[in-house]
Amino acid sequence: MTEELGLPGQDSDGGSEEVVLTPAELIERLEQAWMNEKFAPDLLESKPEIVECVMEQLDHMEENLRRAKKGDLKISIHRMEIERIRYVLSSYLRCRLMKIEKFFPHVLEKEKTRHEEEPSRLSPEEFAFAKEYMASIETYLKNVALKHMPPNLQKVDLLRSVPKPDLDSYVFLRVKERQENILVEPETDEQRKISLVTGEWRPYWSVRNPWLCWQSK
Amino acid sequence: MDPAEVEFLAEKELVTIIPNFSLDKIYLIGGDLGPFNPGLPVQVPLWLAINLKQRQKCRLLPPEWMDVEKLEKIRDHERMEETFTPMPSPYYMELTKLLLNHASDNIPKADEIRTLIKDVWDTRIAKLRVSADSFVRQQEAHAKLDNLTLMEINTSGAFLTQALNHMYKLRTNLQPSESAQSQDF
Repeated sequence: MTEELGLPGQDSDGGSEEVVLTPAELIERLEQAWMNEKFAPDLLESKPEIVECVMEQLDHMEENLRRAKKGDLKISIHRMEIERIRYVLSSYLRCRLMKIEKFFPHVLEKEKTRHEEEPSRLSPEEFAFAKEYMASIETYLKNVALKHMPPNLQKVDLLRSVPKPDLDSYVFLRVKERQENILVEPETDEQRKISLVTGEWRPYWSVRNPWLCWQSK
Repeated sequence: MDPAEVEFLAEKELVTIIPNFSLDKIYLIGGDLGPFNPGLPVQVPLWLAINLKQRQKCRLLPPEWMDVEKLEKIRDHERMEETFTPMPSPYYMELTKLLLNHASDNIPKADEIRTLIKDVWDTRIAKLRVSADSFVRQQEAHAKLDNLTLMEINTSGAFLTQALNHMYKLRTNLQPSESAQSQDF
């Protein structure tokens, strides 16, 4: 009873096509996305296809359980699994929301200035949340402090006052596939860190058997 | 990452149980399990095994590596080598803790095993500290460490990465940089 789910994906030529995943693989991908989001200092690409498919699976399973007869053990086992998957999903979404709240002006700026083909870092719901959050903060600052300031000081530039995500921070990476000739240490001191952020994943503090394949733009 | 979250991931590892009930195959989202027949060993994820054990529906079998002699060999090997040796399971610490807490009656020589695993853990964490120390002293940009488990990384990882971040900021502020961002309101 393993169904297969169609997921938009990319093949090695960079063309987009449906990638067929088993539910187990889908959950695996969700957990990868969760771990990547937890360890990365910046908001990563949003994965709407994974989130939607996982929610579909959970709803489907809930539906089955509602209709099933009172076979105690099977139902409780299924419920436990559903709770586990739900936990990972919520934790993933919470982590993203936390980063959106922390970096909201930069996140919105990036969204405004991205190109058509670039994937968005925010799902539509997250985008709405970010805009509302920004509006709330602006109103709050205005009502609590700014309107009481002398007229020439009543503006605050949120882009400059809210700290940017620290793209130079150290991370742990786990190498999933062998990659040759990754350049980690170019000449100047500054470049050493920047090379982590742009392009394919670099082993930074790289641990070969476990953790994280982090790809960032 | 929370240690509890690392344990959460470890709970997906498969272990062998001997159920005392019967149930036909179940089709979980993460995979198929069973069928369950009394007395016949079956592989299930750890989270399910622990739950069934708590409900007294099964007996747990220790994993093949959870044996005093094997662990003694592993411990001695780890003490001899300067680098990290491969561990029998990427979640050896969590598996040991959960199995010994919930099913010590199913595991022979549980106390010795606990001590041995603790010794191995202590040795590895000490090596990690030395390695982190030399990483910081020599101001390396990256380091490669094989055979570390997530729990070990997690124990020192948060502190290490933050300390390195601070040091990086201090280092780069020594050089006058064009993109100095400071508040000039």
